[in-house]
Amino acid sequence: MDVFGSFALILAFVCALYAFGGGIAAIVTRHPLLIKSARQSGMATCALIFVSTLSLVYLFFSDNYSVAYVVSHSNRDLSTFFKVAALWSGQEGSLLFWSFLLAIYVFSVLFTYRSKNGELMPYVGVILAGVQLFFLTISNFVASPFKALGVANASGAFDLVARADGNGLNPVLQYPEMVIHPPNLYSGYTGFTIPFAFALAALLARYPGEKWIHLTRKWTMIAWCFQSMGILLGAHWAYAVLGWGGYWGWDPVENASLLPWLTGTAFLHSVMMQEKRGMMKVWNVWLVFVTFMLCILGTLLTRSGVVSSVHAFAQSSIGSWFVGFLCVVAGVCLAAYFKNKDYLKSENQLDSLVSRESSFLFNNLVLLVACVAVLSGTLFPVFSEWFTGSRISVGAPFFNKVNIPLGLLLLFLTGVGPLLAWRKTSTESLLRNFKWPSILGLLAGVTAFMFGVREMFALICFVLCVFVGSTIVQEFFRGAKVVRIRSGASWLASCVDLTLRNTRRYGGYIVHLGMVMIFIGLAGQAFNKEVEKELPIGSTVKIGNYDLLLQSMDQKQEKNYVADRMIVEVLRNDKPVMMLYPERRNFPTNQESGTMVAIYSTLREDLYVVYAGMNPQTNLPTVHAFINPLVKWVWWGGMVVVMGTIVALLPSRAAVVVLAKAASTAGAPELGGMRPAQVALREGHD
Amino acid sequence: MQNRKAKIGLLALLPLLLMAPVAQRLLADQNDRAHKIGDKLKCMCGGCDQSAAKCYHVGGTYSGPCDTAKSMLKEIDAHVAQGKNDEQALQAMITEYGPLAYLEPPKSGFGLVAWLMPILYLLGGTGLVIVIMKRWRKRPAAIAGAAMAAGAGGGQASVNVTPELLARARDLARRETED
Repeated sequence: MDVFGSFALILAFVCALYAFGGGIAAIVTRHPLLIKSARQSGMATCALIFVSTLSLVYLFFSDNYSVAYVVSHSNRDLSTFFKVAALWSGQEGSLLFWSFLLAIYVFSVLFTYRSKNGELMPYVGVILAGVQLFFLTISNFVASPFKALGVANASGAFDLVARADGNGLNPVLQYPEMVIHPPNLYSGYTGFTIPFAFALAALLARYPGEKWIHLTRKWTMIAWCFQSMGILLGAHWAYAVLGWGGYWGWDPVENASLLPWLTGTAFLHSVMMQEKRGMMKVWNVWLVFVTFMLCILGTLLTRSGVVSSVHAFAQSSIGSWFVGFLCVVAGVCLAAYFKNKDYLKSENQLDSLVSRESSFLFNNLVLLVACVAVLSGTLFPVFSEWFTGSRISVGAPFFNKVNIPLGLLLLFLTGVGPLLAWRKTSTESLLRNFKWPSILGLLAGVTAFMFGVREMFALICFVLCVFVGSTIVQEFFRGAKVVRIRSGASWLASCVDLTLRNTRRYGGYIVHLGMVMIFIGLAGQAFNKEVEKELPIGSTVKIGNYDLLLQSMDQKQEKNYVADRMIVEVLRNDKPVMMLYPERRNFPTNQESGTMVAIYSTLREDLYVVYAGMNPQTNLPTVHAFINPLVKWVWWGGMVVVMGTIVALLPSRAAVVVLAKAASTAGAPELGGMRPAQVALREGHD
Repeated sequence: MQNRKAKIGLLALLPLLLMAPVAQRLLADQNDRAHKIGDKLKCMCGGCDQSAAKCYHVGGTYSGPCDTAKSMLKEIDAHVAQGKNDEQALQAMITEYGPLAYLEPPKSGFGLVAWLMPILYLLGGTGLVIVIMKRWRKRPAAIAGAAMAAGAGGGQASVNVTPELLARARDLARRETED
């Protein structure tokens, strides 16, 4: 099966080569047969990548320990569930997995548009094939996952061997989230290839700029949604598994995943400027180019060892390939832009500084500044080594100091932007839209202050969260009120109806609501508490309102590891609340161990208990406990963000139907001064 | 007699007894300060990217407090006990371990560049946005093509792209692409 997989991979390379070369020839000659064959070759590439990936999965399932990659990342006792995760746990497999996810996107695009967009698709096909070609070159000739296991014999040649068992999977990867976090994150990274391909294709084909935006909006949102989920699942994994009490450590690899997310978020906002007002066309094209390049840069950072990271794969020469690819991509983008930039001129003027347009400009500014600040902070140790000869570390405190104010500014714009009208916003409209949210925000601030909140950033964050949350609720309330008056339906049904009528707008509001929840959770970090103590059996340790009583210790034998557990009774104000079982898992196969944190989670706070192990000096079990307020809001907020994105992806129900229905409703109550024309105007508001 | 001696002894101990909570408080403060300073220093154990106040060797066989971090905290304690302020204690540690021990870049020398960069990005970006907004405000509406024809000095492509050509290109794109 290893030969089969390897053969499929090399065939995929050949097909991608044809899709690329044949595609260019098709663009030049416009020969219909060439166009068709290039497209079909692109689809065959994808099919062969699927076959190759499935072959590698099969090698894991069949415990084939004659393949070096399988030996390094699996063993017989590893559960089936984690054998799937072993596919992307190392350099070679994760690169093939990358190609696999990209192939899903490429196949979907080529199949969906097989008989549409005739002039544009050959360009798209060539660009996609070019990207696939790069990854297939790596997987075939630089880091093949199908390399046979061999040992050097006396004459220096390699003899093929097979091992009885493998080295096992890295213990920190043996958690359920690790089975879903990388696929989500990689789906985000690879997904941004589609808007990139369409943007570059449209520029090369000299399209004035609107159409590629319409075609790729949904693809971009899907990629963005996966990227968001990937980041949050990664954060949750770090929180639940690593046992350091936090979920975001500004590690270079975490930063690398955040960078394209920031530019992708900027793009999803600025794209509206282009759709509604024909502005920011150059900006949008470059945002997509940069987002794609940041995805490649992220891969480079993770795999080259340029920056030290706890996540990084083993150092290898693979980085130079990515640098080369990045240079080629940048060169092609620059050349295409300078050749055809005149097709991207803006068409409208800015009527007022207080308008949706200017809020989008500032939103993009803040997102981009955050992105560049994170990038330069991440690379600063490398710069400092170049210029001064010694590395200067840039750790979490730096990133927090830089990004917290930017995040708060962004949160403020999240509340303000959507309520400003396109072109110009009147003073009356400003007062009407912001009076109550501002009052409620300030009231929340005063209340938080009275309850002892003195951390400035946390206080500002709470004020802004209530402000933004109120603007969103107000928008739903106003819209639902109109629908309710017309249809007589309940508030909930009216909200659902309203959302389905303009999924993009109200889906966006739901995403914003999710972001508000995430910010509430982030603000909670200002109030974290922790305690660490050696705890003899029968003794307690106090943290916040909780007393942790170590009742006993036990050992649990599992198939792939042995777990040493603490049995801890949690008491709040001397009343039993629950039992927690923090454990340490020892994996005999690779002589490694890992933690399994026990968390008692409420909306108010998390009680986070880690069994740190037996202190080798005193032979006493050590417990490390944290009170992390509001963390649950981050995870729930993430779910709301995903839900909002799904809503925004749904097609909107035509407003016209609803209005017609409303007009025919005999004896409907008065509209409270709201005329139908105004209703229609607001529906077109976004 | 013995009773009197005991009373004198107790009286002598009284200041010490009264001092004990104060000393304990001072020690705790000193410890807090050491942790605060330790939060700005990277643990030099070489196995993590954590601060000296928070290195727990996550993932190791024993993820309790790291010995290197503990000894670093003790050293900071000693500096604090010598009456050094936070900055002096921090500098003393940096002198001993080198610039690699900074968890965040110093606000002097080349490290200052790291702090100035985000500010420059924000200022530069804001300036750019203001320039863009001014240009957009001056631009008459819906004249993209005309503007391009007028500003033909910008290269060959500018000369070639007339409003008619742009309209034709847009029309072509509309016909050739479907949602």
